[in-house]
Amino acid sequence: MTTALRFAGRRVARGLLTLWFAVTATFLLLRLLPGNPALAVANPNMTKHDQALLLHQYGLDQPLIVQYGKYLWQLLHGNLGISFTQQVPVSSVLLARLPWTLLLTGSALLVTIAIGVPLGVLAATRRGTVVDRLVQLGGVVGQSLFVPSVGIFLLFFFGLWLRWLPIGGAYSPDAAGAGWYGNVLAHLVLPCLSLMLLQIGSYVLTLRASLIDALGEDYCELARAKGLPNRAVVWKHALRNALLPTTTLVGLQLGFLVGGAVLTETIFAYPGIGRGIYEAVTQLDYPVLQGAFVLLAATVVVASMLTDLLYGVLDPRVRTR
Amino acid sequence: MTAQARTDAPAVLEPVAVAESSARRTWRAFRRNPLGLPAVVVVAVLILVGLCAPLIAAEPTGYGPDVLQAPSAAHWFGTDNLGRDIFAEVVWGTRASMLVAVCSSALAIALGVLVAVVGAYFRRLDTAVGTLVDLMLSLPVLPLMILIAALAGPSLPVTVAVIAAFSWPEVTRVVRSAALSVVGLPYMDAARVIGGSHRWIIRKHLLPATAPVIVVSVVLTASRAVLSAAGLAFLGLSDAQSWSWGRILYEAQQSGAMSSAWWTTLFPSLAILALVVSATLMSIAYNDARNPRNQGR
Repeated sequence: MTTALRFAGRRVARGLLTLWFAVTATFLLLRLLPGNPALAVANPNMTKHDQALLLHQYGLDQPLIVQYGKYLWQLLHGNLGISFTQQVPVSSVLLARLPWTLLLTGSALLVTIAIGVPLGVLAATRRGTVVDRLVQLGGVVGQSLFVPSVGIFLLFFFGLWLRWLPIGGAYSPDAAGAGWYGNVLAHLVLPCLSLMLLQIGSYVLTLRASLIDALGEDYCELARAKGLPNRAVVWKHALRNALLPTTTLVGLQLGFLVGGAVLTETIFAYPGIGRGIYEAVTQLDYPVLQGAFVLLAATVVVASMLTDLLYGVLDPRVRTR
Repeated sequence: MTAQARTDAPAVLEPVAVAESSARRTWRAFRRNPLGLPAVVVVAVLILVGLCAPLIAAEPTGYGPDVLQAPSAAHWFGTDNLGRDIFAEVVWGTRASMLVAVCSSALAIALGVLVAVVGAYFRRLDTAVGTLVDLMLSLPVLPLMILIAALAGPSLPVTVAVIAAFSWPEVTRVVRSAALSVVGLPYMDAARVIGGSHRWIIRKHLLPATAPVIVVSVVLTASRAVLSAAGLAFLGLSDAQSWSWGRILYEAQQSGAMSSAWWTTLFPSLAILALVVSATLMSIAYNDARNPRNQGR
């Protein structure tokens, strides 16, 4: 129990370190990049006097270290600044969008695993066959996809040509009651599918490789020698161990998944943080851009911490390391 | 293999000969891979198109009278919402995408290899390097690139710098593990014992041992740089003076042509896909060919 606690404590400490790094890097980048630091908080259309006033208001005329301390203090209180264009706190703008991004990325992750694991098993158990080659090639192509291209293709094919699914947004304004959930689900399908296609390659290829390794181990040999059917050896014995590297992959891919979500949401006008970033870019709304990065980084850190803790539950060896 | 590489001339010749024959063996194994050579051809053609863009098509600057025309003999890839020829845009976009890929991957490789090798060689630095790489790899990079590109103002140098700044950790991760497996080998100790300087050992012994990993890294980093640059351009963060594949998609999305004229998005998408898939297949084929288990016969 104490080793488990120490493992969890170490993992949480690493998460906090990552978060501190992200936050500090943003702070330094915003202040050290060439250009007027006022740009980071002030609207470029303001007069010089108003800019100076705002700089003072934001404490940007103080020494860097004081600013840094205040910045951390504000962040701890969830204060991410004020959006230029909407004149409301960045945190409230972004937190309203966060659930959509979580829904999109979470469902994409689930679907990826639900489809990726059987595909990986299929390729590993039919190693060297045409099926295996096709799955592998598909995995490589999948890893090379450009998300907007995939999104546009799906939108064109299923949305505009077949007219099966809505082409944008997260729900129709007229949907209500029980129909609302179905409506949200229908709007989720295409963005989720784009993100799934983007990610599934690495999952399939990783699982295939680790399952092939596991099937060569002595305990699988023993299970076969006992006369267990091949299906049981694969699914009950080998897969449990082969899933461990895949769990690590979830943590490693989260940053990539979030990046894909930004582009996917842009294509489908999905009201998550990614679409918010796109809109903030066109309006040069720096506080929103900065807040979006900090919030997404925090989300990724928390999610990868959870996966690693789960990994610790699945594989007792990790806890003792 | 490289242990006897120093002292006098004849001894130097030997490992070179060994390296040559191993290169030839790798090449033979590479040719046997059914996807290896086609991938090289596709990449080579795209590089040629990028280099010779001015000879292939006029730079798509002026607006034309034929707006949103489907592909035809006059306009192979059709025209966009301002009547510009999409074939010319894709050709010139190839040039810009290649430029970004080459510059940013060169920077990322130089920095990433330096950090990896120094970290692996001077063991005291290694923990710090490992932690830094882990931290940077676990962050969502695209939102950070967007923030910086928006602040610094989109231009070609900014795109290159931003992509390089966030691509080197992946290079370091790969090269570092290769370098770590070498630094403990006896020939490294031997090099130290005979009094070689740190710089000489790193340059002559550590770097050559990681060279194959670096080759693969160059290709993968470049193709990932193409995706990142296209992603930034798609969000409107690219040089407005030059065409890139991402910018064609961005303009199609902005003008709404995306949902009515399939050719505005299909051709730049195919170009990105062709380049990245071929580069990836090329590096996989090279990796497989280098594996002695696949070289027999």
